[in-house]
Amino acid sequence: MLDKTDKNAMGFIAAALGLFFIGGLLTTVAPPLLDKSWNKPFENHDPTKGPTGKLVAYTDQEMRGYRIYIREGCKYCHTQQTRTLLSDVKRSGWKGVDSPVSTPDEFVNDWRQTFGTKRTGPDLSRVGGKYNKQWHKAHFNNPRDLVPGSIMPPFPWIANNPQELDDLVAYLQTRGRAKDWRPDNDYEK
Amino acid sequence: MATQPAIRQGSSSAAGLAVQDIHEDTTVKWFLLGAVCYFAVVGIIALIIAAKFVWPQFLGSISYFTYGRMRPLHVNGMLFGWLLAADMGLAYYLVPRLCGVKLWSEKLGVATSILWNVIILSAIVTLLGGYQKGLEYADLPTPVAVLVVIAWIMFGTNIFMTILNRKYEQMYVSTWYLMGTILWTAFVYLTGNFATLLPGVTGVNQANLNWMYTHNAVGLIFTPAGLAVAYYFIPRASNSPLYSHKLSMIGFWSLAFVYVWTGAHHMLHGPISEWLQTIAIVFSVMLLIPVWAVVYNFIATMKGQWHQLGDNVSLKFLMSGTIFYLLTCFQGPMHSLRSVNAIVSKTDWIPGHAHMAVLGTFSFMAMAGVYYVTPRIFHTKLHSETLANWSFWLFLIGGLGMFTALWLGGFWQGWQWNNPSIPFIDTVVALEPVWMVRFLSGIIIFSGIVLFMFNILSTAIDGGKSSAAVPARS
Repeated sequence: MLDKTDKNAMGFIAAALGLFFIGGLLTTVAPPLLDKSWNKPFENHDPTKGPTGKLVAYTDQEMRGYRIYIREGCKYCHTQQTRTLLSDVKRSGWKGVDSPVSTPDEFVNDWRQTFGTKRTGPDLSRVGGKYNKQWHKAHFNNPRDLVPGSIMPPFPWIANNPQELDDLVAYLQTRGRAKDWRPDNDYEK
Repeated sequence: MATQPAIRQGSSSAAGLAVQDIHEDTTVKWFLLGAVCYFAVVGIIALIIAAKFVWPQFLGSISYFTYGRMRPLHVNGMLFGWLLAADMGLAYYLVPRLCGVKLWSEKLGVATSILWNVIILSAIVTLLGGYQKGLEYADLPTPVAVLVVIAWIMFGTNIFMTILNRKYEQMYVSTWYLMGTILWTAFVYLTGNFATLLPGVTGVNQANLNWMYTHNAVGLIFTPAGLAVAYYFIPRASNSPLYSHKLSMIGFWSLAFVYVWTGAHHMLHGPISEWLQTIAIVFSVMLLIPVWAVVYNFIATMKGQWHQLGDNVSLKFLMSGTIFYLLTCFQGPMHSLRSVNAIVSKTDWIPGHAHMAVLGTFSFMAMAGVYYVTPRIFHTKLHSETLANWSFWLFLIGGLGMFTALWLGGFWQGWQWNNPSIPFIDTVVALEPVWMVRFLSGIIIFSGIVLFMFNILSTAIDGGKSSAAVPARS
């Protein structure tokens, strides 16, 4: 059969696209139909089934912050996924409490996926609630003032723009908060 | 056997100018000269972002030059401005020759090249302005992505019409690979740039479509385009017939089937269905089949011809590209094993791997093609064989320096991450020497790019002068 595709351009096109579409459709269209957690927002009120909580929609302000996060390409250095690895669970944790693993239902409201491929800076999937606005303002202005040795770029045009700073911090505080895994409002000074 | 017609036709056209002369090659010139210039321009961006790892304040307080905007420009500029444009230019060269007819429309080809330049210039402005779409590799804003689709249709129409008008019934491997590139790219690009934006496509669903695109941008665009170039130029540059037609078919059709399944291996251990991860792992390991079939074919073609490497720059690039292809495509399947992935994923190992694929393998193959084609389309000799040879060694030494520094550093980084008692910032500080070596290697690679660009542009100028001196040339 394949010998014919050698001489027949139309036969070639049919075979090349046919083989491509088997895998293409089965790995892109089928999975969200088979795994409901991809499209159903996280909600759990039963502590025996793991962490409780509910994924809520973004506010307008959080959405504006989200767009700043995308505009500045933050995801090129920060992942947002606590993987099933022990070290991820520990590193995303806070004050001795381990973080729950990230699940697809926590990201259903995400207009742009921010899972990331490179972890030049720490993972941000559970950063919400860890640092307050003053900390973020100083950190965006010059990360090395707070974290010596950091190679994060400075973002003075955000730190010195009250509106953008509020928006971006509001977005960051939503990260990982759908699951109630630790007490609220324990900002580090 | 079946490959012989293509090769014989090839060598006769190299010997007799009569066959060469049916080709105008205007489109080839436009695409290749543009690609070579973008290679150098984006090379500067690459150096800047490498410098930012060592000196984080460098150009840091100007929003247009912040890392998060320059990195997508580096990626898109290299992929579309240099590599894809070079591969397209080479396709405009080799498809008419493999088909024994003129390119279907030079006018359409030149128009495609003009549109391509509009796309790359818009990419520079929009990405630095912060108008990135927010999807890796699909960073170009939607209006620019629409222009890419239009340009691709123009390119595809021209190539397919040329193939339909062909004089030789039998199609050579390079022709299949280019047809595959055009067809698959269309759907891969639409998935990554448009299906991801459909209403209701969010979170993991969007990421899965994004990785299908990102992975296949390399696997079903740059791989088949690069292999088309290598399948044509390894036999041509070494003047020996391809080792096995059958093996090339096994390589091609297994690539067509296997590659598209593997996108989810970018999210191993992450928030994506476990069974989809397992499918991605199984197919990633199966990628060894198309890769080894191709590499064996290339190496066997060179049997008894290795002495030619000494004075043939194109062959040097082609054969080191082949070795890098073997290595990078051994790494890929290994990374997708869960145990290895737990160490190397998200570390600096990954850019080391990605650069070996896109720079070490496919850019090497494209440069081999450009070095081979440029003197021929301008009817002159290469401006300087010595400089070409220098450019090869700079690319090889700089490339190896960068790859090995990032692998060692990335592996060490992953090892430290897996010990949660080491604070994250310590794992950043530990990598400083690695990023310094990467920056210095980058300077060596960039010198190679400059020599390459200078040589190609000078060859074009030499050709312009000599054709002015001999106006009788038809």
